[in-house]
Amino acid sequence: MKNLFLFITFIFAGLGAYDAKAEELTTEGIAFFEKSIRPLFSKHCYKCHSSSKSENKGGLVLDSQSGWMDGGDSGPAVIPGKITESILIEAIEQKDSDFAMPPKYKLSPSEIDNLKKWVRIGAPDPRDGTPVKAATSTINIAEGRKFWSFKPAESSTLPDVKDEDWVNDPIDRYILDKQASKKLIPAADADRATLIRRVSYDVVGLPPTPEEIRDFVNDPATVQVALKKVVNGLLDSKHFGERWGRHWLDIVRYGESVGRTRNYPFPFAWKYRDYVIDSFNNDKPYNQFVIEQLAGDLLESKDNRQSDEQHIATGFLAMGSMDLNERDKEKFQLDVIDDQIDVTGRAFMALTTGCARCHDHKFDPIPTTDYYAMAGIFKSTDTLSGYGNRQGGGNKLNRNTLISLRDKQDAPESSKPVKPSKPSAREVKLHDQVAKLKKEARSLTDRLQNFRKAANSKQKKVSANEPKKFNPQQTQQRIKQIRNQVKRLEKQLGNLTNERSNGVTNSGNLAMGARDAQNISNCKVRIRGDVDNRGAEVPRGVPQVLTSKQPKLPPKSSGRLEFAKWITEPSHSLTSRVMVNRVWHHLFGKGIVRTVDNFGHSGERPSHPKLLDHLALRFTGEMNWSIKDLIRTIVMSHSYRLASQHSENNYAIDPDNEFFWRANVRRLEAEALRDAMMSVAGTLNLDPAKGSLVQKLKAGEVGKNGGLQSLKSFTHRSVYLPIVRNYVPEFLQIFDFAESSSVIGRRDITTVSTQALFLLNDRFVIEQSNATAKRLLSDERLENQEERIAGAYLLAFGRTPSGAELSQFRKYIDEAKKNGQAAEVAFSGFIQALFASAEFRYAL
Amino acid sequence: MKNHPTNFTRRDALSMTSCGFGYLALKGLLSSDLQAAGFSNPLSEKSSHFQSKAKRVIFMFMQGGPSHLETFDHKPELEKSGGKKVSGKAMLAPIYKFNPHGKSGLMISEIYPHLAKHADELCLLNGMHTTSPAHPQAAIALHTGSQNFVRPSMGAWITYGLGTVNQNLPGFVTINPLGRLGGAQNYGSAFLPASYQGTKINVGNSMANIKNENLSDPDQRRQIDLVQSMNRGMLERVGKNSEIEGVIQSYELAYRMQSAVPTVMNLKKENQKTREMYGLENKETNNFGTQCLMARRLAESGVRYIQITHNGWDQHNGLSTKLKKNAVATDQPIAALITDLKDRGMLKDTLLVWGGEFGRTPEGQNKDGRRHNNRGYSMWMSGGGVKGGIRYGATDPLGDTAVNDKMHTHDLHATILHLMGLDHTKLTYRYAGRDFRLTDVYGEVAQKIIA
Repeated sequence: MKNLFLFITFIFAGLGAYDAKAEELTTEGIAFFEKSIRPLFSKHCYKCHSSSKSENKGGLVLDSQSGWMDGGDSGPAVIPGKITESILIEAIEQKDSDFAMPPKYKLSPSEIDNLKKWVRIGAPDPRDGTPVKAATSTINIAEGRKFWSFKPAESSTLPDVKDEDWVNDPIDRYILDKQASKKLIPAADADRATLIRRVSYDVVGLPPTPEEIRDFVNDPATVQVALKKVVNGLLDSKHFGERWGRHWLDIVRYGESVGRTRNYPFPFAWKYRDYVIDSFNNDKPYNQFVIEQLAGDLLESKDNRQSDEQHIATGFLAMGSMDLNERDKEKFQLDVIDDQIDVTGRAFMALTTGCARCHDHKFDPIPTTDYYAMAGIFKSTDTLSGYGNRQGGGNKLNRNTLISLRDKQDAPESSKPVKPSKPSAREVKLHDQVAKLKKEARSLTDRLQNFRKAANSKQKKVSANEPKKFNPQQTQQRIKQIRNQVKRLEKQLGNLTNERSNGVTNSGNLAMGARDAQNISNCKVRIRGDVDNRGAEVPRGVPQVLTSKQPKLPPKSSGRLEFAKWITEPSHSLTSRVMVNRVWHHLFGKGIVRTVDNFGHSGERPSHPKLLDHLALRFTGEMNWSIKDLIRTIVMSHSYRLASQHSENNYAIDPDNEFFWRANVRRLEAEALRDAMMSVAGTLNLDPAKGSLVQKLKAGEVGKNGGLQSLKSFTHRSVYLPIVRNYVPEFLQIFDFAESSSVIGRRDITTVSTQALFLLNDRFVIEQSNATAKRLLSDERLENQEERIAGAYLLAFGRTPSGAELSQFRKYIDEAKKNGQAAEVAFSGFIQALFASAEFRYAL
Repeated sequence: MKNHPTNFTRRDALSMTSCGFGYLALKGLLSSDLQAAGFSNPLSEKSSHFQSKAKRVIFMFMQGGPSHLETFDHKPELEKSGGKKVSGKAMLAPIYKFNPHGKSGLMISEIYPHLAKHADELCLLNGMHTTSPAHPQAAIALHTGSQNFVRPSMGAWITYGLGTVNQNLPGFVTINPLGRLGGAQNYGSAFLPASYQGTKINVGNSMANIKNENLSDPDQRRQIDLVQSMNRGMLERVGKNSEIEGVIQSYELAYRMQSAVPTVMNLKKENQKTREMYGLENKETNNFGTQCLMARRLAESGVRYIQITHNGWDQHNGLSTKLKKNAVATDQPIAALITDLKDRGMLKDTLLVWGGEFGRTPEGQNKDGRRHNNRGYSMWMSGGGVKGGIRYGATDPLGDTAVNDKMHTHDLHATILHLMGLDHTKLTYRYAGRDFRLTDVYGEVAQKIIA
């Protein structure tokens, strides 16, 4: 063996300086590789480092040349010709126990020499083939920009259609054109009673009143004219914001408690809820709505009230669910940032940027560096949820980590313009002082630890680097002193910062939100998402695939405002397309892009790409981002007005109704269902609730602190129900409420027996049935059983019963009475059957 | 208070008959017709990825971090080191004695005299470890595989993967779950469809909404018939519609559940001998005994995944009192469950899993307590395709850190799925643009324990 080794050394000694190009492989080099290196790799390394393994350790594979060239998490494994720079050599020499390979033993000296030799002579490696790994970015951004959703929206010529009379709006041309190309014939129009019920639920989430039905059904004007009156009335109603605000709350993972490990209440979250409802009611332009939620604290405002509103908007960033028990402060912060990146990416742009935390996005052109570019923006932001990550039971709601609002409810409105303030000189000075002290403490602690380690291992010499006079007691004392000093300074600093960003500190007028941090910094890539495994620092910025020119971020601010403005810029069309699609989804039951929160490669493609662009351009153009205009436009289209009638012919071609040839039969959301039931029963309080029941929770963990009081007496609309994570009201939960920790633009629609059981047996449903029965039985205008039945029908279904239906119900009630039920009970049983029926639960 | 107005007139009510529809009852639709019509029941039984022995899981969650050093991890070294300092920490000798049991001679603590009789059925997992030493994180990770994000629980994944056998009962039932430490998240379905979430049942109470307080059974049947006739009328008007068909089916299921659930929950059907065996007649064992017996009845009736919970295993002190009390409360019931399943020929296809979120340190605390230990602890499995009478994995001689055949929570999940015939790398669900797994990117199946 030794002789052979010498022999090989002899052969290669003459090769001299080396050139790394693969094509210049010499036969000798190949021979050496085949003889000494390939078997060695195979014997000692492939077990963990081969592309056939599903998880190659450290991202490194050694069964191809590109495997070691690209290397793993720690970079290229071998630099040809350079032994000292090749970490493979460093690893096998096992000088550093943390970085020793193979992990459980050491290669023989001759094997080590062979590997060194191999590197020295230029690492000749005849193997080709692509390694299976994604440790380094292979994403081609330019190529990525060609994907449909990353391209700017384009206007198209309106399609010609045969039936011009059918067209109410250009929307109809796109719809009809597609249908014609598939040989689909659109369903007839829905009758007026069906239509007003549909539009009423769609726009305000409540059933139409009998008067509204009567007026609309009997209106001598054309449907177009009559419907417009109805729609305008609904859009002007304060209930519009309650309906569409709740849609938005689904998307932004609205919740009124921390959730997860330590589920503390968020007693101020409802202010964000009200902000959302008001914004929809006031028809706040959508671009402004986006900017306020991401960076409202950085906007100028005309008075205190607007300043408050804009601050409350940033609650968007603060109400994610968190793991308060996380001990590692930095990991905690990066997890919060992850939630912020996820919600920002998906809510506004349907972009699953969160996927790029640990590796380049597997489907979309979003490299890890894009993720950390955005992470830098949020890392330079303080998230003010009221809680920090302290371990144990000490997480008290902390007013220093909340926003104090300026406008006192009873105080006269101030009209002084308010500018977002920059940190004062004193703050900056304090901040630097703290940083310096902390640094000193860290270095002292390190020295102390080294000293103790050395003492423990009973080495006579303390440490070569340690000066002889090192005094552990004194050092310990100094560390303690520093810590106290830091505590004091940080408190001062906190007060100053709070005053600056909040104005008032001593009022209970608080809100969740965000503000720029004292420390504005970029974020380092965390390799494989591992907090402690730091890679290169990435300048703050936005996803490259959506911009050829990064917005200029000011060095002394987080860049949130610029980021927010960029999101609503027309240079890319994701934001407008995504919102148009969300609105379409809620009005048609299906989006033009079905995956409303995912416009990436793994999402679905639009069924009507030209229509989507057409609407997106109108939304940002003529409509000036008005959601109400957008809804009005879609609802007034002919396409919205179709009946839900089945057609064998169409069904055979398009069973999923991808081309909207009929209206989808749509299940009412949990909220609409509860509101409708109570509205029929006359028990619904239509005034907005003030605040939230969550405010009444005792401090501390929900579940430990007695939990929520009964919701029985809560009679406001469902949007005002307390959304405590893990304690979502049963009614909502059973009917597929959006999971309150995740971005949900499209709720599940499950039809399961627990729903049936709820409608049949739950006390709430029975009480609402009783109340309805009482209401109808005591209504003197209704003279007999038939009229009362018809009245119930009108309230519940928005129509009157047919003769056959009437006689069926009469029979039910009569028989129930015959079986000994009191008249009221029998009538209530009939009402409950209406509530339980599919017709009540669905909008046709 | 402003109410929705009700002032419509009689004329209004009656003048709109033109909007009404004719009523035409459809003949009763059978569920097989519904399947044919394109309505698919998310809970219908599905085939596994490969053949497996276990058909169902009973997970006995011992909340708090039971001390492995006093229960299932015999450490003679620690006995010797009691009272001594090891790397600056005062060791506490195990409070209880261990004795060999069964043919296998498995060492089991004296506080489990009943369970010890089943030593040859137990597969002790002595090399467990997990990421977090804090209760909430570790408990959530044990249930959902993730402590950082809201993810579906193991029961939801398994029900998603395999569906359930008895359509008259929920597929995933959790008895007496905790309200804290993640609460409903621990049996939630997160991004999986809601039909896979666990149904909560409390001892003494049946399922929510399973009984109507107002109507007699025949009266309610008449009411349901009325509902169904309206539903069929609607289906007739709309034409083909799988959702309305689903509603019709859900009522028939609900009605059957109303009789099936109370029947399966009715422990009075059990004879006195069985009740005594489970300890239902003793105050100490009644609660957990009831849970165990309910679990057996649910398992027998075809429920896929059953969790029962016993809490209070967080012995920072009181290993000599509270731990003993916990053992007494659970020992006889668990032993009875094993005996009972065996007698019914069900142990071979029922996987029992016992354990808490972590274990405890060899170092003592507060006289007779121990600290949290996520580096090394024990769980055990029995039945359903695992080898009996073996110790798999080990901690170091003092019982501090898992050293051999280590099994992380992710590995536990991978192994449980494997035993159920599911490949943990293939059981995925696409959400937010990517495929999710119970084990994320981790998990190795402990092949050595598979019979």
